[in-house]
Amino acid sequence: MAAKGPLKLKFKGKTTKGSKGGSTSTSSSSSSSVSSKFEVIKDWTNWSLKKAKVATHYGLIPLIIIIGMNSDPKPHLFQLISPF
Amino acid sequence: MADLLPPLTAAQVDDKTKVDEKVDYSNLPSPVPYEELHREAFMSLKADNFEGLRFDFTKALNQKFSLSHSVMMGPTEVPSQSAETIKIPTAHYEFGANYFEPKLMLIGRVMTDGRLNARLKADLTDKLIVKANAQITNEPHLSHAMFNFDYMGSDYRAQLQLGNSALIGATYIQSVTNRLSLGGEVFWAGVPRKSGIGYAARYESDKMVATAQVASTGAVVMNYVQKISEKVSLATDFMFNYFSRDVTASVGYDYILRQSRVRGKIDSNGVASALVEERLSMGLNFLLSAELDHKKKDYKFGFGLTVG
Repeated sequence: MAAKGPLKLKFKGKTTKGSKGGSTSTSSSSSSSVSSKFEVIKDWTNWSLKKAKVATHYGLIPLIIIIGMNSDPKPHLFQLISPF
Repeated sequence: MADLLPPLTAAQVDDKTKVDEKVDYSNLPSPVPYEELHREAFMSLKADNFEGLRFDFTKALNQKFSLSHSVMMGPTEVPSQSAETIKIPTAHYEFGANYFEPKLMLIGRVMTDGRLNARLKADLTDKLIVKANAQITNEPHLSHAMFNFDYMGSDYRAQLQLGNSALIGATYIQSVTNRLSLGGEVFWAGVPRKSGIGYAARYESDKMVATAQVASTGAVVMNYVQKISEKVSLATDFMFNYFSRDVTASVGYDYILRQSRVRGKIDSNGVASALVEERLSMGLNFLLSAELDHKKKDYKFGFGLTVG
């Protein structure tokens, strides 16, 4: 119907926006599901690596400080900041 | 030059007692890790010469945890197309946190421009060690990370390396006799699609270490270190690349004295350099570094202080 027309176009537009997504819309359904699974896995690993990079960048030094402050003998917070 | 070296003492007496030892092939010692093959030679020949001021302050909060503050000011080289080296004066401050435990070591350093340099070493089991090394920057696509998994067998070591842009490598080194160890490495890099293979050999005795390494990238490195006494060792190195036809030979020395350590080298590229570390008092070290490159007319002098 008329409402489905623009919806279908929008869906097609979304798949062709991705770098290799354009080819999957024309191939047969079974291979397209396998290759789109690869695309999904690749996108997911890229996304998780990006998030891991940001987390390491901001969080590594605080993590080391937290681990160090909880080791024994437990140092005082003042020792962390003062120069002696 | 003969009068600069201290006279050889009775260190030769010990060699006689070791001559008659039989080699027990089932009980060979563990070899050095593959990346530390050239470690004795690089201690004298690849000392870290720097330019400008360097101040390092390490504060130990307890046995395992310490914080470090470093200030570095001086000209740093910027890569340029022309033959002249372009130097831009920069100053930065680096904050670091270190955590050392027998089974886990974590080191993190962050600079004022946002660059993070992280190292991790964890002993998963008695024989399996995982190491990771990462440099993360704010600019996209300039960060890299490398993970190494080391397995230490009774007389061999094997390592698998996984790196950032699809880099995979593996190294293996085996002790063949008490003194000789042989090893090889293989790597595959995804981005400039190339792979390489290399072989290495290391022969050591109490007084000397000789190593050689050949790689399919065309690099051949051979070095020899002679330990003349407890305080003095001399090293020499020969590097050759048979594709680009570069040859470099260098000779260096390392004097470990009671209050100071002096290392220097001279190169066939016309570079003479020296590094002096003097212990002024407990925990206070003064550093002086000089590197003269007569061919490129680049003279670098640096001084620094290390506390703690």
